[in-house]
Amino acid sequence: MIRLRASLGLLVVCSVALLSCSSSHSDRIVVGSKNFTESFILGELIAQQIEAHTNLKVERRFYLAGTYICQQAMLAGRIDIYPEYTGTALTAILKQGISRDKREVYERVKDEYERRFGLTLGPALGFNDTFAMEIRGEDSRRLSVRTLSQAAQFAPQWRAGFGYEFMERPDGYRGLVAAYELHFAEQPRIMDLGLLARALKDRQIDLAAGNATDGLIPALDLVALEDDRHYFPPYEAVPVVRKQVLQQHPEIATVLADLGGKISDEEMQKMNYAVDAQHRDTQEVVREFLKSKRLVP
Amino acid sequence: MNLARFFLQNHSQVLELTGEHLWLVGWSTLFAMLIGIPLGILIAHRTQLNRPVLATANIIQTIPSLALFGFLLPVPWLGDRADRLAILALTLYALLPIIRNTYAGIRGVDAAVVEAGRGMGMTESQLLFQVELPLALSVILSGVRVAVVISVGLATIAAAIGAGGLGEFIFRGLAMVDNRVILAGAIPAAILALLADFGMGLIEKRLRPR
Amino acid sequence: MIEFRDVSYSVNGIQVLSGLNLRVAQGEILVLLGRSGSGKTTTLKLVNRLVAPSSGQVLVNGAPNDQVDLIRLRRGIGYVIQEAGLFPHFTVERNIGLVPKIEGWPEERIRARVQEMLQLVGLSPDLASRYPHQLSGGQRQRVGVARALAADPAILLMDEPFGALDPLTRDELQREFLSLQQRVHKTVVFVSHDLREALRLGSRIALMEAGKLVTVLTPAEFLTSSDPWASAYVRAFGAGLESAANRGTS
Repeated sequence: MIRLRASLGLLVVCSVALLSCSSSHSDRIVVGSKNFTESFILGELIAQQIEAHTNLKVERRFYLAGTYICQQAMLAGRIDIYPEYTGTALTAILKQGISRDKREVYERVKDEYERRFGLTLGPALGFNDTFAMEIRGEDSRRLSVRTLSQAAQFAPQWRAGFGYEFMERPDGYRGLVAAYELHFAEQPRIMDLGLLARALKDRQIDLAAGNATDGLIPALDLVALEDDRHYFPPYEAVPVVRKQVLQQHPEIATVLADLGGKISDEEMQKMNYAVDAQHRDTQEVVREFLKSKRLVP
Repeated sequence: MNLARFFLQNHSQVLELTGEHLWLVGWSTLFAMLIGIPLGILIAHRTQLNRPVLATANIIQTIPSLALFGFLLPVPWLGDRADRLAILALTLYALLPIIRNTYAGIRGVDAAVVEAGRGMGMTESQLLFQVELPLALSVILSGVRVAVVISVGLATIAAAIGAGGLGEFIFRGLAMVDNRVILAGAIPAAILALLADFGMGLIEKRLRPR
Repeated sequence: MIEFRDVSYSVNGIQVLSGLNLRVAQGEILVLLGRSGSGKTTTLKLVNRLVAPSSGQVLVNGAPNDQVDLIRLRRGIGYVIQEAGLFPHFTVERNIGLVPKIEGWPEERIRARVQEMLQLVGLSPDLASRYPHQLSGGQRQRVGVARALAADPAILLMDEPFGALDPLTRDELQREFLSLQQRVHKTVVFVSHDLREALRLGSRIALMEAGKLVTVLTPAEFLTSSDPWASAYVRAFGAGLESAANRGTS
């Protein structure tokens, strides 16, 4: 009987010890990011800004495996801030239909996030990482094509190449050709995403789907055609912060406000390229950028 | 930088993730004991129930863990918080060893001893708490030990659905293609499992009836 | 004191006992003698209702034992089994003090009673803190008896208690049991398959075969009985039984 009581007692003690293991970091900010280069760069950017302009110690928890993982980590308080995209937040987390208006999407996400999750959105960082239809720079200059509407007249002479997912998504290929009345000579080629830019350069295809901030765009002299009919939904990059953290450390709001609108599509492309293709150290690339923008002394 | 230096530089994160890991394992093992031990006692006394109960626990055990996490994700309330979901899933996986060992432990108590106690006028609850449980304790704890070791391993997979813990290092390290990060998760997890196994083995030995 | 009225018991389609009618008088040692499968252990367990009859009644102290509180009934009956069924995780002291403890006796009284019982069964008081696995077979059996007597029950049920012991120890314990009985005068129902033991200990011997009560005789009557089963037993056990019948004074 004594042994039984002793083991029960031990159990209680262990449980109490374990249950007080929950995370709570008072003078520390944990910055997260998703597991691709651009998110990683943005995370590092936010981290360096906080380190430069506040007394807070920053811990980095990068390369989390996706939107859901990051969201869970925020809700559980394991990370305090991470870069998200408005379009992704709206469709993947809030599970709502997407609209084309940048402002509207931002406001909707901001409201819902505050109401449902106690998370705040900082101002948009400036670029829109949405789908981009790319053509060779020389074609763009020769034919004076800069927008998708202008491209429509040349579509019958072109071969297009897209990734599998873009072909299958309802708001992908089908919607695109409908919105811009594109008629390609033949069925588009379905290729691995990583090979599309190369194939475009090597003239195997004439138009490819990519991301607006793809590092290879400036590198391979490609041009991203303007989505003048606003077919593609907005995916503005925004920092998402836990409200509690903002209340405890209002200086973070200033830091995020300073970052608002500071990164253009081209600047993001350049940073992506530096890290992905030139294999430069991310921390260095970010530091360089911040210096160039006079965001750090 | 070599592994040891990496650990030193990131020790606070290693500790934090270890804490998250223990949180997942601790709660789920506790729940599994609160459910599994009484269930085990029940089926030991009412043996007609033992086949359905053990069969159910067995079936749960055979579901691949990642699949179970996936099944539970769309469930409201549960799927909203990854750690809730992970704790539920880990609890389910811990049930079989605990139920089975409680059952075996209680059935293994010498029937003559129990009958002697009953014949002398002990109530069923007195028999349970003064005779059966103390004599079955070491076997029951052995089941808990298995459950804990399983949980420590499974909790690394829970990171795949966002529940945190040492598995997060492993997944992040895979995405970053950085072995040090992978090991920062794998090594502590392995040490945790070994410690749990060893520690509980010690307790078990001390409580074995003579 | 104890009465079986037309008691039958069957389980899983097997008739274990049929038509048992038997009375046990106060203060006597009634030995249930029979082969394995004769139903003698079942008969014993009917008294403290570890087994319930399929038909008929078992009366203890005049009241049918299914109409009294089961726990109270059992705590008022001492129960000793072969290999004693001692709790291996209890000390000798805790084993003996079991029923007093669950009856809520004060600690002091329990401790005193344990010492008293140890003395009664001829065990040294410093065995109190030992565990059963540290004792010899004979010592364990004595503890079993002490435990059964601790709460001073009026009735004692004993199921082949000395069966697993070597002949010398068995002889010793039988002798001591007889002298113990002289002092405590319990009503004892004692199960045995050994005629010698039955003749030595029993005030009366109830011979059972295949679930039926064959005959009830005193030891002296048994030896000279013409009942076929009784005489079969006598023959099987060979010579020298008379001395056993004379209450073990050899």
